[in-house]
Amino acid sequence: DALLGCHRSYRSRPTHGIGKFKYLLPKEVPKRKKEKVQMKEIDAGTEYQYGDINIQMTSYDLCLVEHFAQHVHRLCNRLSIRVNESYAMPTKTNEVLFLEERGSKMQLDAVLTTHQRVVQIRGLSSTFAPILLEIIQSNQPEGVHLLVKQHTEADFKSRLKSRPELEELLAQMS
Amino acid sequence: SAAAPRPWRLFGAMCLLRLPRITQPLEKEEEEMAALMEQLELEKSHYSDHEIRKLEEEEQLQRRKESLYDEDEASGKTVIMAQDLEEKWEQKFLRFKAAPRITDADKSNDRTSLNRKLDSNLMLLVKQKIGNQELWLLPQVEWQPGETLRNTAERAMATFLGDHIQAKILGNAPYGIYKYKFPRAIRTEDNVGAKVFFFKAFLQSSDLSQAKLRADHLWVTKKELGDYLKSEYLKKVNRFLLD
Repeated sequence: DALLGCHRSYRSRPTHGIGKFKYLLPKEVPKRKKEKVQMKEIDAGTEYQYGDINIQMTSYDLCLVEHFAQHVHRLCNRLSIRVNESYAMPTKTNEVLFLEERGSKMQLDAVLTTHQRVVQIRGLSSTFAPILLEIIQSNQPEGVHLLVKQHTEADFKSRLKSRPELEELLAQMS
Repeated sequence: SAAAPRPWRLFGAMCLLRLPRITQPLEKEEEEMAALMEQLELEKSHYSDHEIRKLEEEEQLQRRKESLYDEDEASGKTVIMAQDLEEKWEQKFLRFKAAPRITDADKSNDRTSLNRKLDSNLMLLVKQKIGNQELWLLPQVEWQPGETLRNTAERAMATFLGDHIQAKILGNAPYGIYKYKFPRAIRTEDNVGAKVFFFKAFLQSSDLSQAKLRADHLWVTKKELGDYLKSEYLKKVNRFLLD
């Protein structure tokens, strides 16, 4: 019946390989991991546009910071502001030790993790910037620190890890 | 040929905002949603290290009560039990007292203090004399030729609050404009009316002890503006106020 009557395209049949299409697509060059040089735009020039701007949000509470970062990203999408990237900085762990000196010395530990999310924006017109800042400020949740600054090379380098062996070898060579 | 002198007088006004310090209370649906999500997360979550430790120690205690196996083993390990830690934390939490959300200024409805209504924006209103009337307005000062409108607004703030205020103006563009014509009695060829340009600034610190406040001043929320401002003025001001 219907189950037994299917014609499987076997290798001898003329319909072998009937559904193939990948040979029709253009060849993809495999991407190499290269460090991308940052691009900068005019800052408050005649066109009154800001270059790359970083909105950094730090907090102890992970869910809050992530949700806020998502909210800011979606807000920028709706306002048709171009978002270059939205990334997270590595978390920093702090150990808080209490030294109680009543009678026996006790050490109570608390482990605090600080999380940071960055949303990078480009092409913000200077007439619109204060409105955007006010919206973000009024939507700030409790416990979240907001920092808006321009993107510099130092910010870019802080995301990369330094390789001490490579640096040693380079120092040896030169 | 030179441009004809405009018959309008220009003023720069400053809308000084104190940002809210506390979040607004959640609506009913938001609260229900939050409770539901919390319950869901609790049911889906795994045990944390502290809870696992607590369960293990409870089991050990039980085994010790029923039979005397683990006496020699356990006495070396558990110096502080997880249950003791929890009790200590509970006591510490009970000792902590949060600051009240509704302050004294709220209860007495004292509109001149900054401590009221910690969950909404507060704006500065000053009583100014215009023509013959004394009106409640946002602090404004006449524009002098040669300075930018933003400088005018800053000057307005400085005249009413004194120098050294930590207020931040975000941009050079005004937020709103209100123009009105003088009553026919005062109107001349050069002076048809006035245009007031509004700027917004955010108070960075709530420490106004250094500021010398002249004249009557009030800190009001957006809803209370209607009590003090005239309707036309209020309409234009409301256009640029977020809440």
